[in-house]
Amino acid sequence: MSAEMEDFLKDTVNPKDLEKFEKNYRRELEANNVSHSTQFEYAFCLVRSQYARDIQAGILLLEDLMTRHADGKRDYIYYLAIGNTRIKNYTDAAKYCKAFLQIEPNNTQVLGLETYIKKKVDQESMKGMAVAGGAALVIGGIVGLGIALAKNKKNNNQ
Amino acid sequence: MSGEIFATLKVLIIGESGVGKSSILLRYTDDDFDHDQNLTIGVDFKTKVVDIDDGKVKLAIWDTAGQERFRTLTPSFYRDAQGAILVYDTSNKNTLVKLESWLNELEIYNTKPNMVKMVVGNKIDKPEREVSRDDGIRFARKHRTLFLETSAKTSEGVKQAFEELVRKIIETEGLCEPSTLYNRGLDLNNEDDGHQSTCSC
Repeated sequence: MSAEMEDFLKDTVNPKDLEKFEKNYRRELEANNVSHSTQFEYAFCLVRSQYARDIQAGILLLEDLMTRHADGKRDYIYYLAIGNTRIKNYTDAAKYCKAFLQIEPNNTQVLGLETYIKKKVDQESMKGMAVAGGAALVIGGIVGLGIALAKNKKNNNQ
Repeated sequence: MSGEIFATLKVLIIGESGVGKSSILLRYTDDDFDHDQNLTIGVDFKTKVVDIDDGKVKLAIWDTAGQERFRTLTPSFYRDAQGAILVYDTSNKNTLVKLESWLNELEIYNTKPNMVKMVVGNKIDKPEREVSRDDGIRFARKHRTLFLETSAKTSEGVKQAFEELVRKIIETEGLCEPSTLYNRGLDLNNEDDGHQSTCSC
């Protein structure tokens, strides 16, 4: 299940598509008249980019859409969750999943993503614990060495 | 070698909103049915490993949203697909008529010219029919696609649809490229074990 989600999240936008939708967006931006659909199409491509910088730009566009087009909220929240997951910003990703599930508790797309995020967070905290545990071992080792040396010194003195 | 995954195949499910694309997929992958299936957001993705002859094939299935607002975005997912299931609702004639434009879109955006297409009439459990089986067959014949009728609700025809599609993809020369191969674990020296490999790659 989580390998499936991993494959899904790894799939990136084709650069040609990104370019195409970026052009549309820039054109409307110059005319100072960006439609929500053009902005969404561009943001949809950005959050599927391989570059974190693009994903962050996509997240900003989606956050902006949230404030000005209530009808599309369902899609915006979902892609905000996807974008944040792809840049490993699991706290915000989980927040968006939760917000979505309050409206549609049985949505399998979002439930799958939420499970994946929880697993990732658990894995990272395990890693953190392993690092802390490793540090404890090192410190323990140093202390042990100190004791051994002290003993050695004592023995030599005798 | 038996039991090895020898290829990953990309399959699309497309068609109008509400014809049952996600329900067909849910029935196939989880053998389940949801009366209140949510509208798909953008695209959904599921994988399934299928036994084929002596080996296994991994299906990577992209279930696209039928909603108009995703119409410009979903073709991005057509690239490199080896198979497509085009779904209509047998109780709604318009959904079959609209498949014409979905087929056109496939022609434009898909990168594999010999991709295998299958037209699927879903919801045959419903008593109110607007499209007869013959009409469906005629449509499929006209567009040179495979054809099947299904009910995601009762599961009739669902497994068969995917199996037929996979078989046809494997039989189609040039569809299975080395890039789709899972090289790890594949013993290339062990091809003459009495069963000819069905995949030319």
